[in-house]
Amino acid sequence: MHKVLTVIRREYLERVRKKSWWIGTFVIPLLILGLMFGMVSLFMMRTEQQRRIGLADGSGALFEPLQEAVAEKKLKDGRPQILLERLPLLGSVEATRKAAEPRIGKKDLYAIVTAEKDLYAENAFRFYGQNVGNIQIIAAVERALAEVVVRVRFERSGLAADRAEIERLMAPVDLETFQISETGEARKRGFNQAIYGTFIFIVILYMALLLYGIAVMRGVLEEKSNRVMEVLLGSMSPRQLMVGKILGIGLVGLTQMAVYAATAGALRMWVGAQNIQGDLAGMLDSVSPLKMAYFVVFFVLGYFLYVGIFAAIGAVCNSEQEAQNLQTPVTMILVVPYAASFFVIANPDSMLATVGSLIPFFTPILMYARISTISPPVWEIALSIALLLLSIWLVFRGVAKIFRVGVLMYGKRPTIPEILRWARD
Amino acid sequence: METAVSLRDVAKVFGSFRAVDGVSFDVPRGDIFGILGPNGAGKTTTIRMIMDILRPDEGEIRVLGERLGDGLKDRIGYLPEERGLYRKMKVAEMLEFHGAIKGMSRTEARRAALLWLDRLQLGEWKERKVEELSKGMQQKAQFVAAVLAKPDLLVLDEPFSGMDPVNQSLFKDVILDLNRTGTTILFSTHQMETAEKLCRRIVLIDHGKVVREGVLAEIKAGFGRSSVLLEFDGDGGFLRWLPHVIGVDDYGQSVEVLLEPGADPQKLLAEASSKLRIRRFEVVSPTLHSIFIALVGGESPHA
Repeated sequence: MHKVLTVIRREYLERVRKKSWWIGTFVIPLLILGLMFGMVSLFMMRTEQQRRIGLADGSGALFEPLQEAVAEKKLKDGRPQILLERLPLLGSVEATRKAAEPRIGKKDLYAIVTAEKDLYAENAFRFYGQNVGNIQIIAAVERALAEVVVRVRFERSGLAADRAEIERLMAPVDLETFQISETGEARKRGFNQAIYGTFIFIVILYMALLLYGIAVMRGVLEEKSNRVMEVLLGSMSPRQLMVGKILGIGLVGLTQMAVYAATAGALRMWVGAQNIQGDLAGMLDSVSPLKMAYFVVFFVLGYFLYVGIFAAIGAVCNSEQEAQNLQTPVTMILVVPYAASFFVIANPDSMLATVGSLIPFFTPILMYARISTISPPVWEIALSIALLLLSIWLVFRGVAKIFRVGVLMYGKRPTIPEILRWARD
Repeated sequence: METAVSLRDVAKVFGSFRAVDGVSFDVPRGDIFGILGPNGAGKTTTIRMIMDILRPDEGEIRVLGERLGDGLKDRIGYLPEERGLYRKMKVAEMLEFHGAIKGMSRTEARRAALLWLDRLQLGEWKERKVEELSKGMQQKAQFVAAVLAKPDLLVLDEPFSGMDPVNQSLFKDVILDLNRTGTTILFSTHQMETAEKLCRRIVLIDHGKVVREGVLAEIKAGFGRSSVLLEFDGDGGFLRWLPHVIGVDDYGQSVEVLLEPGADPQKLLAEASSKLRIRRFEVVSPTLHSIFIALVGGESPHA
């Protein structure tokens, strides 16, 4: 036990002391958080400038209602964000625009909006400006225009003359989504946001399983190639070495995953306290403490399932190039649930998702994906974990033998049938 | 006789190749014991089986009176032929690790490591990374890792290979010191000069089998003063095929001719002087080197 602990300590310290690990554990989540906040706040930020927009209106019916509609959006100081100016018609709409265009170059006008005489024509409305990337302004104009034009169409068609009735007819239809949570309580939630939150952690899970598995493989290869292996085996059994190495590197991964989960948890609490609604809140719904606990559980179980195979690959190979060939099929097995997770997140209670999440090699990613999006029956979760534990036990029985034979083999890499024979006897 | 290591009919088979084929010998406690043999004779495989790194396919091995097990490894120091250290670790930290996996506490291991580093003039390097050390210093650090935990048995596989004469003589002194304080030394080598100076007993292995085993002085006495040192002009190739000649060891400037025990050196002189111009003729005790060559059939140990 003392020996295993010593190996765990060495592996853990060696990796945790690396700068790259600190960057991966603390700097990258901060960057992601910063990026998220940046995007959200950029999106919510109002442009503090008043914009003057010229309207060349061929129909002659839009100016007043449009002016009224765009004036609803105010700057912080209370002035309307968009100031609409009627451009006197000079023959045609086209000619009016051409005449006014130089004012855009002189910054006198921010943009020109044109409307054809026929409000039903295709491309009847156009936006001309130097900056057509300002989504906020364009979206505001578009919203106001749509509202006003539809109202004018209604009036002209004679279907409804009463303005109140028109507004009633035009009331938006909104489909709200509710999620039945683990506690049975229905909560309003945007499905898209749930996907983001789940997906971020699936990417992390996939990368962590792959990277920490490969870290163990590299560690074994390195000890073989720099010949530390034999010195170590003079002091402990191959099994002790393997267990120490796997637990040591696993603890490094666990530390990192715990930091990620805790960061998400802290962010969730902060957002809860700020009473922020919308995309960010919806996204953080997928990182509840229970879901984060499952995330850590499935990282640990997935790590043990895959790491044994990676350790065995490291033991039978002499170089990373050699290991690459054997590593590919394992990576492929890991890619399958990762790729399938897109489907599973969209259809978490489909037959395919249920069956997939019960296949041990897919369980860590797919069952986590399902837990994160819906609440699968407890017996399914329990069964998937039981199958996973059974598979880990079976894999390690073989891996321990391969490791023992493999670590002192140099020279030609054994073939896969040979390796499997070692695992059996 | 209390034995530190005892092998009985031990065999190890790789595929269809019997790397070690029915080897038996005993290493008495407190002895300095050499496993000699040419490359590929099975020395390293034998040592790995003694260290419980490889399991024998046949026979039995007992170390320090016990059957092999993990607890036993704490009492054995091991320096493998292929040496390796964690290159990215600091010297003292690395040694502390090697002490700890031998069952020492970390403080105990650190104290012992610092003592050894000072003794081998490596004290100033203790906080440097292993990869910054010169090759000679790494050899010292590796040696310290093997002896740190005050082993009862020290197993060294080709300890002097790749060492400069300064380190060779330093390690020879340290090994003798350890032996004086009770550590049994078991080492393999194909350098006969070193074995001749250090060993009390030897076992000579070739093709996985024991060729000769026993007290070195007795083995040498068995050959008597049956060696002839010759210097001459001309082609001495025919010497090997003369009657009563077991082996010829050609050094370029001179040759050592090993005769069968009891053979008359004068006959050799007569034969030789009839065909060569003899410049020197001396009857000596055979060196271990020439015995080695005679016993393993003329294959050069330096091959």
